[in-house]
Amino acid sequence: MRTARGRWAVSAVLFLMGVLLVVQFRAQTANGGLNGLTTQDLTTLIANLNDRNAELRGEVADLQAQLRTLEATQLAGASNVGQLQSELQQLRLWAGLDPVYGDGVDVVISGPITAAASNEILNELRIAGAEAMAVDGVRVVPGTVVGGDPGGLSVENVALPTPFHLQAIGDPANLQAVLQRAGGVVSRIAVAQPDVTIEVGATTMTLPGTDRDLDAPDAKPQL
Amino acid sequence: MSAFVARVRRIPSWQLTLGVALLVLGFLMTAQLRSLVPRSQYDSSDLPPLRQTAQELQAAQDQLKAQILDLRAQVEAVEQNGQGNAAQITALNDQLGDARLAAGLVALQGPGVVVSLRDSTRPVPPGAAPGDLLVSAADLRQVIDLLWLSGAEAVSVNGERIAVTTPLTDIGSSVLVNSSYLQPPYQISAIGPADLYNRLATSAAFVAYLQDRAQAVGLDVALLQSNDVQVPAYSGTVNLVHARPVATSVPGGPTTPIGSAQP
Repeated sequence: MRTARGRWAVSAVLFLMGVLLVVQFRAQTANGGLNGLTTQDLTTLIANLNDRNAELRGEVADLQAQLRTLEATQLAGASNVGQLQSELQQLRLWAGLDPVYGDGVDVVISGPITAAASNEILNELRIAGAEAMAVDGVRVVPGTVVGGDPGGLSVENVALPTPFHLQAIGDPANLQAVLQRAGGVVSRIAVAQPDVTIEVGATTMTLPGTDRDLDAPDAKPQL
Repeated sequence: MSAFVARVRRIPSWQLTLGVALLVLGFLMTAQLRSLVPRSQYDSSDLPPLRQTAQELQAAQDQLKAQILDLRAQVEAVEQNGQGNAAQITALNDQLGDARLAAGLVALQGPGVVVSLRDSTRPVPPGAAPGDLLVSAADLRQVIDLLWLSGAEAVSVNGERIAVTTPLTDIGSSVLVNSSYLQPPYQISAIGPADLYNRLATSAAFVAYLQDRAQAVGLDVALLQSNDVQVPAYSGTVNLVHARPVATSVPGGPTTPIGSAQP
């Protein structure tokens, strides 16, 4: 009798312990999402989100104005041709289909840089707000990636000489600052690839339109 | 003294077992209660201000992006019914359609590959940084670049389309794509030719990437071939401030800066 009661008590306690262990373990592993971020990371994230949301609000306002103008023109019985031409021009420039002109930076790279490092510089230029880019005269469009081994790099099947140029149109001061900041991409590459020399200078440039077809032959629009 | 030992010996063994178990139970309950105190502050009901601000801003961004997609659809619909020389309007709408496709403003579907990446669950080896075991922006960039080199025609990560201006960046242990905070795990969707999967899987650079990050570090990298990969439209800004058209690029078109191009 006494042993039977004892067994029940031990079983009950062991059961409780099991439940608590599982709860404890789950609580410790459920740490995804924002929980992993430090206060400093969160502050940086918030600054990024704020900037981005301001840009998006600007885009919303532009689109609303564009819609109003189109509709007002139609109500007035006037032609939309000029408006469509203007939008087409802006879109073709942005997408890399037509040549562009503007201020920006010229990044001159000498030595056996890796393809990954070259692509990292392109990514940093995007972070800094580059509006149009080219790799040694080849316009960057979606899918333009530097490939190959150091010393034998190529972009869109065009071999890259040494030195070669990465060019980006955007705010020159901002583009330079992001590339050359302490711990930025240029200083990281200087440490990891000491044989590579990178020079960054502000300049005004004309970048060509892409030679590529961007018509995605294997894809179709979603319904 | 011997009287005490004799007394202890007379305690039934089940009582000793129960005693030890209750002691452990006490430790566990205390550990549980103590660990609940800070964590309860991270619940959605009571987030610390910064975390809550970040979540609200991301929610606002998601709404703005939905609004942009909606407005672009409205603009396109009005343009389809554009007034003026009918042949000219039709031709311009065709050209606009091609440009939207090239710019990534059209949601696409087709055959392709989905690559999913998950953080390593291995213990952090001595001397390594814990961050090395997490999927980083560099991981996503490498896989995306290899997909492009393998012939991908359209790529997205967790619903963010990779457009010409799309940056991928780390903030702490999180990844931003198009300045949108992505919740892990990460899924890269790519539409391309029928041999996209084989070209990626057999490329020397991808094999080297797997050795570096999957075999050596323990990232979970999974490749899936599919006939119906969905890639959403780019929902960010299409805005040029510093870039202008070259005078000869559009015959008869305006040569003024087009950053604020509203007729």
